[in-house]
Amino acid sequence: MNMSDFIVQTKQLTKTYKGKIAVDQVNLQIQKGQIYGFLGSNGAGKTTTIRMLLGLIQPTDGEVHIFGKNLKKDKLSILRKIGSLVEYPSYYGHLNAIENLETIRRIIDVPKSRIDEVLSIVQLTADAKRPVKGYSLGMKQRLGIAAALLGSPELLVLDEPTNGLDPSGILEIRELIKSLPQQYGITVLVSSHLLSEVEQMATNVGIIQHGRMLFQDSIETLVQQAKQHIMLSVSEPERAAATLNAAGIRTNLESEGLLHCSYVPDTKIASAVHLLVHDGHDIYRITEKRESLEDIFLAMTREGGF
Amino acid sequence: MLTRAFASDWLKLRHTWIVALVIFGPAGVIGLQAVNWGLRYDYLTDRYAGMLWETLLKDVHFLSVPALLLGITLVASMLAGMEHQHGSWKQTLALPIRRRTVYMSKWLVCQTLMLLACILLMTGMLLLGYLLGFGGNIPWDSLLARSFYPWLTAGPILALQLWLSISTANQTIPLSIGIVLSIMSLSAAGMPDWMPLKWPLLMKDSISTELSIALGVSTGLLVLLFSIIHFTRKDVS
Repeated sequence: MNMSDFIVQTKQLTKTYKGKIAVDQVNLQIQKGQIYGFLGSNGAGKTTTIRMLLGLIQPTDGEVHIFGKNLKKDKLSILRKIGSLVEYPSYYGHLNAIENLETIRRIIDVPKSRIDEVLSIVQLTADAKRPVKGYSLGMKQRLGIAAALLGSPELLVLDEPTNGLDPSGILEIRELIKSLPQQYGITVLVSSHLLSEVEQMATNVGIIQHGRMLFQDSIETLVQQAKQHIMLSVSEPERAAATLNAAGIRTNLESEGLLHCSYVPDTKIASAVHLLVHDGHDIYRITEKRESLEDIFLAMTREGGF
Repeated sequence: MLTRAFASDWLKLRHTWIVALVIFGPAGVIGLQAVNWGLRYDYLTDRYAGMLWETLLKDVHFLSVPALLLGITLVASMLAGMEHQHGSWKQTLALPIRRRTVYMSKWLVCQTLMLLACILLMTGMLLLGYLLGFGGNIPWDSLLARSFYPWLTAGPILALQLWLSISTANQTIPLSIGIVLSIMSLSAAGMPDWMPLKWPLLMKDSISTELSIALGVSTGLLVLLFSIIHFTRKDVS
């Protein structure tokens, strides 16, 4: 794939703090129109990576290319097309929402009408004239997103945008993020430590642990990693397990007398059922159990990769 | 770009105590001298007859220097504090603007506020002299010098306080240092000539006023230069 096809591409991006590695040779790749979920537990290196993408901290090694340009050389022209919300919302508590956005507008020099537009996108118009220090966390977060959208960015970088929000706030922000690529053609990089959250909005996912990228692909590919298991409930589990194992179908006897076969194709299940019926077993129940993304994620972060 | 950053920083002063401080500082200095001269009017006008204006200006100057340094300390800390308080540095520095412009703008705002305070101080001195009935024989040279030379020669202190306030989120250190410096300036007359604290006093006996100003402005710009270099290389957390 050509380099210019990527909106964001890092090459061996590395950051060390006093000899301790925070981000380790990360090759992040985001294409236009994606909602890229950047997933990792707290302290995995997400925020450090994002800060490097925004030029807030200097990489120890490696390169950042955004919009096909090198961040080191074209920092200002790149930043002009990025909106960001890093870690927790930044605001001036003594100013109201309009004044807060105006402090940014005066620097990025966009029309004043943008302030009303972004306030209505994040539904803060009604509270726009109250001092921000009286806002709830969710409102501050939405103001942060409004600030990020002010310059009509092509790339939106949101670091843990739903942190500390209540369920309805999370839903609101999630729906907002999901609408951005379709409505405004914005590419989104959104980080989170919650898989369920990324799963519900991202098209692509990158998983980082101890500063290393463990997985980077589409959500579908990640879901395909989820392995299938078949659980069988039969009349004589012990004898049935022996029968199936003798026939070459690996079966474990679980607690409560359930039989557990891993990764079995459909044809093998058919022959297993045939075998058991033929052998005089009563089959009460056959259930399929898929590994959840949570399981994959936990397995991945536990092992440090596949 | 600098004008846009300045306009942005200027907007942030709204609803803060910073503007009040710029007004109350000079008002306080003038107020104290009004009490001093009001209470001892007969004694002072008798003793300093013929040099009333000059004596009043000297008295105001004696208080205005520590007040100026204290003002610099507080304003620099408040300007930086509002950026530290809710993590605004990361937001500002991720905007398409050079870091040196961001820093220069803060410095310029601080300098402008201090200049405004000095203009108010000058107005206050004129008003007080007029109310005390000192007449129209105003020593303009001395008035302008005592109003604005301390501002010019306090450049190094302003640059230092701004750098201290901006480079650390904890404002205890810059505030402590600034307050100690303000108190020390009361006895700066006895300090060696190379001490920046002595320059705003405009002591004509040791180094010339012109030299004080030249030293103050150049050292101030030098400290500003170093702090900008530090700021542009710093990692923002």
